[in-house]
Amino acid sequence: MLKLTEIDTFYGDLQALWGISLEVREGEMVSLIGPNGAGKTTTLQSITGLLRPAKGSITFDGHDLLKVPPDKIVDLGVSMVMEGGRVFAGMTVLENLELGAYGSRARKERFETMEHVFKTFPRLKERLNQRAGTLSGGERQMLAIGRAMMSKPKLLMLDEPSFGLAPILVDAIFEMVKGINKQGVTILLVEQNVRAALELADRAYVIENGRIVGEGSGEALLSYESVRSAYLG
Amino acid sequence: MKKNLSFVIALVVTAALAAVPLFVKKDSLLTYLCMILLYVSLASSWNILGGYTGQVNLGHSAFFGLGAIATRLLWFAGWNILLAMLVGGLLAIAFALLIGSPAFKLRGAYFTIGTLALGQILYATVGNLFPQISSMPVQDLISYTLVTRYYLFLAVALITVLAATLVANSRWGLGMMAVREQEDAAESLGVNAFQHKLLALVLSAFLAGLAGGAFAFFQIGYYPQYPFSPIWTLDSTMMAYIGGTGTILGPIIGAIFFVVLKEVLSLNLAEFHPTVFGILFILVVLFLPGGFMGLWKRIKDKQQKKRESMAELSHP
Repeated sequence: MLKLTEIDTFYGDLQALWGISLEVREGEMVSLIGPNGAGKTTTLQSITGLLRPAKGSITFDGHDLLKVPPDKIVDLGVSMVMEGGRVFAGMTVLENLELGAYGSRARKERFETMEHVFKTFPRLKERLNQRAGTLSGGERQMLAIGRAMMSKPKLLMLDEPSFGLAPILVDAIFEMVKGINKQGVTILLVEQNVRAALELADRAYVIENGRIVGEGSGEALLSYESVRSAYLG
Repeated sequence: MKKNLSFVIALVVTAALAAVPLFVKKDSLLTYLCMILLYVSLASSWNILGGYTGQVNLGHSAFFGLGAIATRLLWFAGWNILLAMLVGGLLAIAFALLIGSPAFKLRGAYFTIGTLALGQILYATVGNLFPQISSMPVQDLISYTLVTRYYLFLAVALITVLAATLVANSRWGLGMMAVREQEDAAESLGVNAFQHKLLALVLSAFLAGLAGGAFAFFQIGYYPQYPFSPIWTLDSTMMAYIGGTGTILGPIIGAIFFVVLKEVLSLNLAEFHPTVFGILFILVVLFLPGGFMGLWKRIKDKQQKKRESMAELSHP
């Protein structure tokens, strides 16, 4: 479904990604783990078109993503939840959700999609006309994921959905992500919460200093000595 | 229900404003209302780009001035005033399209400084090109009626507020607000930030151009440079901030508050009113973010939270 081949991405003169190759197959839940500054977010931004790789190729469902403008990539079915959720604090929950369905494909069915999102996040329905800035941290993250679901993605990418949340909420959020995956949405999850990310995922990649240094099933990586000592202590 | 109520109120206010010349016979008061309406147009049009889209434009007077100069020249050349105003608005759009692309390469404060510079350049250029005062020809002076001017200002203000309302409640408006809140998050949802900013700029410019046209029809004699003066930009920006940017009512409240206060101050404090407004503006930015409308929103948020905590107490 999604295939990155040997991509190099730069910030100005600074090279952040070195020949990253990874693949996400339809229906899978794949985690990308690694320390701070390893290039996890940069990889996601290269996929959504926020950054453009200097070399390599990215294909999604047969489309060459490097040739698609960023605002059209969402229309193809790729949606991203940015780190910290990044909800529009001054706007209502309803407006945030409507913005998720901004692309012409998703917009037509936005009310049906919204009902569907409320099944996963009933909290959002109660808060519909409240400004997002008045929500709690957990509710904001739910709104961010719900907003991404509004575009009816085939592939949902999440950048650190557990960031800044209380442990009990982290579990709840991961449960919801797993639930979305079970509904048939392919997931690419970036996490620093390595244990949870590996337990949930079908497969995982380990990234360090802008390079992929490990790959395998979540269970297998959990038992690797190098991963254990580096991330799980 | 709530929407219907606002609609009815808007209709009643419009009807009342339309009836004003039937009851108000004093020219000074009517002139005063003309100024309020002009400032409603300027602050509301500024608000489309500066408030809803979050691009603080300090060159707004350029569009006002272009509308004024084109309208004045064409009207004096014998054109129908409405047609002349339309051309004035289109000239403002042309300038907006010309500067849009380079200006939006700049972000945040740099955009603001860039637009300020553009406005100043145009102000100086027009001053050099048209140094003579522009006076109404005698035949226009003879047929001059203030009531006609009042209705023209009213029409422009209504068009501006209506356009702002329609845009704010449209899909484009939603995109503009998202660009204001967080540009990169908006783009990640498929909102093309540049297109949204450009549309807001074009609409804002056109409406300011129309207001300029009405001013050219109203003012008997002035230097063509005068509508390009940065004071128009600063006044409308302050009004929008005091009333509340990014809301429909904010610039209207701000314009009324500003014109009334200015009148009171210039009666009592003569030359000091710019100082007073400067201080007031700083106070609003520091202590009243979101202006009067922001204050109202915060009160509502608080009530909402209170209701929720009550609800949670009763159903644990």
